[in-house]
Amino acid sequence: MHSAARFNNLLHDQPTDRRVFTLVLSLYGARLTACPLDQHYTDPVAYARGQSAVRETFQPDVLFAPVSVALIGAAFGGKLRYLKSNAPTIAQPAIESAGDWQNLHIPDPEQQPHLVFVREALRRMVAEHRDQVPVAALFLTPVDIPMLVMGMDAWMDAVLFDRQAARRIARGLIPFFVSVANGYFDDGAAYLVLPCAFASPSIVPRTIVEQFSRPIMAEALAQLRGPVALHHLDPPLLPHLDLLADLPAVGGFSLASADNLSQARALLGRRPILLGGPEVRLLRQGSTGEVEAACRAVLEDRRDDPRFILCNSGADLWLDTPPENIHAVRRAVESWASER
Amino acid sequence: MPRDTSKQTEPALTDVRQSLVALIKQADRAGANALLDAWAARHGYEEVFKVLLEPALIGIGESITGEKHTLAQAYVAAKVAEDMLTRAVNQPGANAYAEPEKGPVVLGNAEGDFHALGRRMVATMLRSKGWLVHDLGNDVPPEEFVDQALATGARVIGVSAMTMTTAQGIRALRQELDTRGLTGRMQLAVGGAVFLVMPGLVEEVGGDGTASNMFAAPGLFERLWQASLQAETIHA
Repeated sequence: MHSAARFNNLLHDQPTDRRVFTLVLSLYGARLTACPLDQHYTDPVAYARGQSAVRETFQPDVLFAPVSVALIGAAFGGKLRYLKSNAPTIAQPAIESAGDWQNLHIPDPEQQPHLVFVREALRRMVAEHRDQVPVAALFLTPVDIPMLVMGMDAWMDAVLFDRQAARRIARGLIPFFVSVANGYFDDGAAYLVLPCAFASPSIVPRTIVEQFSRPIMAEALAQLRGPVALHHLDPPLLPHLDLLADLPAVGGFSLASADNLSQARALLGRRPILLGGPEVRLLRQGSTGEVEAACRAVLEDRRDDPRFILCNSGADLWLDTPPENIHAVRRAVESWASER
Repeated sequence: MPRDTSKQTEPALTDVRQSLVALIKQADRAGANALLDAWAARHGYEEVFKVLLEPALIGIGESITGEKHTLAQAYVAAKVAEDMLTRAVNQPGANAYAEPEKGPVVLGNAEGDFHALGRRMVATMLRSKGWLVHDLGNDVPPEEFVDQALATGARVIGVSAMTMTTAQGIRALRQELDTRGLTGRMQLAVGGAVFLVMPGLVEEVGGDGTASNMFAAPGLFERLWQASLQAETIHA
């Protein structure tokens, strides 16, 4: 059974030969192809080549289009800094405060070079792997895009102290969000990963999710033509999971290693796909035995939960993650399946 | 502002503290400021910091460690402290809060790090505790940290890094300090989200200490300042 069939069977409650697993290896593709990172995040051919190497080397069941939220900030005019061993970062936001938003130009997804790069990389990956391996893409919801455009401080300020302006900005981003996200679906993305900052229990209290983030997310997600997985960002998402449970288009939740998956399942019911597994730090620093044991523990915990994907928690794997630890994830999945 | 010495309607201090914490938790910056201004009108801004704001911030800091508060609430707390500092320094005469009496110290984000929020919040907390802070901003090269610390007479350099990659860059700052013979004399405080989740990272990059959150930062800088003085005494 190949990855696409395995993934499809999971979605449709059909049997699979083993658990679906994936790891976010967007950055790691550059290591495998020895590609300089400025090229990796600007040249769709180079990026797609890196993901082909990821597939060939580690055979995950899902591949990822470029994972870099900084590219979104850069698309709005932020100054991008390419780094030697990590995804690019925003060196200077496009604007300094919510008050500057009215003078901002919303980028055209069909023309803006950073957005075109992501989309072209996705298209190439889908064309190459379509019938064999699903490809997921990452984006941000309208409540989180502004933090890349004006910086975390300024956006936090607006959300906390000028809610009306924050609401106007986030709602104004819905058409842009829908256009980009549906473009990804049109290009063949199997699902979108949407990290949740301004819905995260570590960043905002419940009242802000209830009064601000959730209504805007609901309006935006209702216009999508495909499924999304809400991502925990880094800290646990469980304390706010009930607020996000019945949002439109949400087919899954990528949870932190500190989240209790059983509690999440009890809260969400049987339909949503849960994604969880060892965190990126363990994959970078742990031994292969520790990685394999962590994977097996999660698989054992989810033994009776068919709608589960083993996936690293946290963000993209670090460039210096030992390859044997990545192989250990796959080995854990295969050996666990063979023992059942 | 003339001081109001009337005590007839004075609420209990613990009640006022609880009200302040509740307002901060609700992100009610204006409400918190109004409460503190009212207290300052009776007791002066120095008292506001000592008996009201500081204990409230420590309490919030302790509960952040227990994951009961969010970044947003910590941000509001920092903003309220900043508001009070601004008001205090703009007050004429006896009601004014004292000028910085500790430091100076130097703060900045590690080279390649552009996540300013945590650094700014720490700077606010330090200033609210009387530290003179030279904030060098984002993406500060190791040489600049040391040059500025020497130029200002700082004994502590505070470096913020959000990611593993930029935290690893702090090694170069450690090396710069050691190469210039400033080991011990110039203490290195490191902080940022990555240090909270990576045990041993402080030692790995050569830091002299870290704080679990912004509210604990003044205590850390106090300890490191004393360590610097002791190191100087030993070498003298």
